Amino acid sequence: MAGTEVILSAGIDIGTSTTKIVISRLSLRNTAGQTHMPRIEITDTEVIYESPIFRTPLKGDTSIDMAQVEDLISREYKNAGVEPGDIQTGAVIITGETATKSNAREMIDRLSTHAGEFLVATAGPDLEGIIAAKGSGAYALSRKTNKTVANIDIGGGTANTAVYKHGNLLGTCTLHVGGKLVEFENGTVSYTAPAVDQLAKEHNWTFEQGESISREILNELAGCMKEAVIGMLKGTMKESPLLIGQPPEWKEDIDIIMFSGGVAECIYNEESCKEKGIYDDIGPTLAEVLRNSSELGEFEWRVPDETVRATVLGAGTQTTEISGSTIQVDEGTLPLRNIPVAEFRFSGEWKEDIDRLDYFLEQALTLYDPEREGNAFAVYFDDIPLLGFKTIQELGDRLAELYSKYHINTPLIIVMERDLAKSLGQSLHIRHKEMEIVCIDQIRVENGDYIDVSTPLNSEVVPVVIKTLTFHGGEEE
Amino acid sequence: MMDRQLVEEVTRMVVERMGEKKPEARARLWSHNDKAPSYEAVGQEREEEEVGGKAKLSSFPKAEKSPPSRTEETENDSGDLKELIKKTPARIGVGRAGVRPKTKTWLKFRYDHAAAVDAVFGQVDSSLLETLDLFTVRTKVTDQDTYIRRPDYGRRLSEEGEKKILDSCRKRPSVQIIVSDGLSSKAVDENLEDVYLSLNQSLEALGIETGTPFYIDKGRVAVMDHVGEILEPDVVCLLVGERPGLVSAESMSAYLCYRPRIGTIESERQVVSNIHRGGTPPVEAGAYLGSVIEKILDYGASGVELVKKEG
Repeated sequence: MAGTEVILSAGIDIGTSTTKIVISRLSLRNTAGQTHMPRIEITDTEVIYESPIFRTPLKGDTSIDMAQVEDLISREYKNAGVEPGDIQTGAVIITGETATKSNAREMIDRLSTHAGEFLVATAGPDLEGIIAAKGSGAYALSRKTNKTVANIDIGGGTANTAVYKHGNLLGTCTLHVGGKLVEFENGTVSYTAPAVDQLAKEHNWTFEQGESISREILNELAGCMKEAVIGMLKGTMKESPLLIGQPPEWKEDIDIIMFSGGVAECIYNEESCKEKGIYDDIGPTLAEVLRNSSELGEFEWRVPDETVRATVLGAGTQTTEISGSTIQVDEGTLPLRNIPVAEFRFSGEWKEDIDRLDYFLEQALTLYDPEREGNAFAVYFDDIPLLGFKTIQELGDRLAELYSKYHINTPLIIVMERDLAKSLGQSLHIRHKEMEIVCIDQIRVENGDYIDVSTPLNSEVVPVVIKTLTFHGGEEE
Repeated sequence: MMDRQLVEEVTRMVVERMGEKKPEARARLWSHNDKAPSYEAVGQEREEEEVGGKAKLSSFPKAEKSPPSRTEETENDSGDLKELIKKTPARIGVGRAGVRPKTKTWLKFRYDHAAAVDAVFGQVDSSLLETLDLFTVRTKVTDQDTYIRRPDYGRRLSEEGEKKILDSCRKRPSVQIIVSDGLSSKAVDENLEDVYLSLNQSLEALGIETGTPFYIDKGRVAVMDHVGEILEPDVVCLLVGERPGLVSAESMSAYLCYRPRIGTIESERQVVSNIHRGGTPPVEAGAYLGSVIEKILDYGASGVELVKKEG
């Protein structure tokens, strides 16, 4: 338990336009005093390898070229001097429009086996915004100040915004705002995204593929995107063809804004962006319009730690959580991947809660394993009261009884925030030796999340990656 | 000198004023009052939960919470204040009345202080000890005042006590569990049952045999050396009440030592502290202690020695 333990984490970001990889070293230490029960935390993250920024290999318009992506990753692993087997945690993120491309799911499955056994795959625009905000430093900034911080990650296809205050997520929002919504080739338009076509119709702009586009129209188009960003930040946005999913739900006024993603590089580094001239798309125009906007100037601007690499950095260094150190896990059962979470909220009426567990498990089974194929799910005990020895045993016995009543053969996976996992797990283990148990604490999840649990480290904790696919705005405390 | 009649007149006016419910008048009297954050004492905002313990404690009467003022101005500030309050058990953001704490805050403070004093001078609930099948022995301490004044008396069993454990306890067990009130009888009342049962279950699961447990009245930590000398166990685990503070008067510690004997130095002991409802949950502490004891037995060392051997 003494000293520092180091694990390797990989972050892979496959975006609409670019693909990046970072390998980082996470240091774990016991941060509790000598006289307390240990509390293992990630105390340091160090990036040991950053790949160049590659163009995402696509096959046609709608699918990712898997063979090429795999080649690219194994080549980069070699450059970094790591084997897939060395990677203990991390995340693959397929972002932006790429996520809607036809074979993203298959891609994720293949990468999970090739890029490292414990590597985890995720997607979804909400999560992308959250991860970018962590990589850019917006999340960390919100913890240091009492200001409300918005991070706007503008990539090729989408702009993903996450708003934080005091380190709490207030909301996310996704817009059709990105550099690659209009692409050029030799000065003529080579691609326009459907959202742009719709805008063009509304404004009676005419530009066809293969034709050049006037400076005015391009500026107007970028202006529409800027208005969408402002509307989102100020909460005045209504219906817009540029809005994807829900309009913003946060109620707080935003104080500080930060941009990340490819377009952000052009916002903060105008010179280098022009010099290179690498972006043959609407990106530089969009960046210029955003930078010069007087309305956006009303917010406090901060330069992020990372622009283009914010998402990949967030994926590699910020997605792993560490369980409590007093837990009970059957090592043979781990690792677990993509386990859905069913939340059971304690009401404070103990007898009632114990009774209600029956109905709860029945519902969870119907939802997560209706055909009884042996799909495991995790039970999250929310608001679990401080239990004594006898009530812990009662809870354990009740769970065991119900698992046998419903003939559940999958492991009993329990997650909770309160530090009670070892006592509950131990009670179950002693009294119901036949059961496979994974009981972990100091982890906070929500109904509908998915979790991955790795094998225990030397410090007796397990790395956990939580994949939030749904987001309920403003509820988080 | 003021005319007596004038004094009476002024007094009557002031008393009348006080009877009227006019906040403007108060604001004029104490201009710094209207900006005071309207928060209740921290202790009442935090929920206190019942552990499944045996003993009954009278709980501090919960005052009704007056809602924080919802004016535009203060809303933002109170959000920030809440964040700060969450980070510490200290009494911050409790407001004030003029230059003094509010009555509720002051009462809570007095209550916590009194609870701490009670914890030191109280007695452990004897029915709890009976339920857990722990017999009682005494140290050389005769009364509570001596206990406070002569720590050395608390470190040795009485002659009677020595004889009693020699007669009643199994010698040379792997683990000898002992319990003492130490400086807080309340800590024992509140936490012992859960820690003790959970610890026993955990040792049983690990296949570690235990000796005959007992309770030591008015013991100090180093009394474990004397017990070690007499019974010669490999590990002594002493569950003892901690010195009470204003955050908690019922915090318990578990002191562990590999082969303690008279003259054992402090660096060979190790401790898991802060076991109470607001700290490490008692039942979890018990489960954890089992694995610590296993490690001490494996390495044949405790405290600083154990850290050295672990590398």
